Amino acid sequence: MLPDVGAALPELVVPITPTRIVAGAIASRDYQDVHHDVPAARAKGSPDIFMNILTTNGYVGRYVTDWAGPQARIVKIAIRLGVPNYPGDTMTLTGSVIRSEEDGTVEVAVRGANGLGDHVTGTVMLKGLGQ
Amino acid sequence: METDPLYEKVSAHLADPPSDPVPAWDPVNQPMIRHWCDAMGDELPIYTDAEAARAAGHPDVVAPPASLQAWTMPGLRTRGFQDGTTRAQAELVDAGYAAVVATNCEQTYHRYLTLGDHLYAVSKLESVSTRKQTALGEGYFLTSVTEYRDQHGELVGEMSFRTLWFKPKERA
Repeated sequence: MLPDVGAALPELVVPITPTRIVAGAIASRDYQDVHHDVPAARAKGSPDIFMNILTTNGYVGRYVTDWAGPQARIVKIAIRLGVPNYPGDTMTLTGSVIRSEEDGTVEVAVRGANGLGDHVTGTVMLKGLGQ
Repeated sequence: METDPLYEKVSAHLADPPSDPVPAWDPVNQPMIRHWCDAMGDELPIYTDAEAARAAGHPDVVAPPASLQAWTMPGLRTRGFQDGTTRAQAELVDAGYAAVVATNCEQTYHRYLTLGDHLYAVSKLESVSTRKQTALGEGYFLTSVTEYRDQHGELVGEMSFRTLWFKPKERA
């Protein structure tokens, strides 16, 4: 079954902790100090460490395939970062189908919001749905 | 129009040739995939279970598409790309635009990566913004484009990546 345009994805709540930020940074081999070193982050004008974009990308991909399932193929992820994910905050991912084609091409708009505003907005394109 | 010597200097790197190829340390492998999935809380079975991956039409366990960039990231002691982007970054840092945030990432996946694929990446500076006033401070946006190929030279993915290099605002 192809999803209808406008269909909502179940939301995913991600608690933002220092451990989770560092785990994502290491798994994506991103050693920029602002993702693990609080004094270094402060020296660069940030109140705390913050999540790296590769981890955000990982969560966006996971969020969409949690819903789409193992038959789906992600063909494109395009994201824009807004406010940072700082420790102590919570990111809530929501999404909706914005395109659904007969050939199984589906596009989902994704938003990850935290206490400061939109951390991430973007789109994920999938193939192979409804087969 | 006001001239900006720093912009002129940095944007001259748009003419730089692409980087030398940067090889992934290792072929796509289960431990790195598992580490990624653990950190992201991703439990899709095709990333860790060969049978589930085959049932979904893949030849073997596959890597999460969003992990594309991670395979060729530099380590603590090894350098990554040396290209117009890194030279432009160095000049911005020297001029005091030393803080960086990533602002946009667009990745296209031509196929899923499977165990044994050995990637290499080639990167190039694609655009340089003029000096901008942003919520974080004054800075410049750099956009690089990266092509990812496997050991046979097949293009498996592409990325456009934008970063803002800025002078942090004085905190009140």
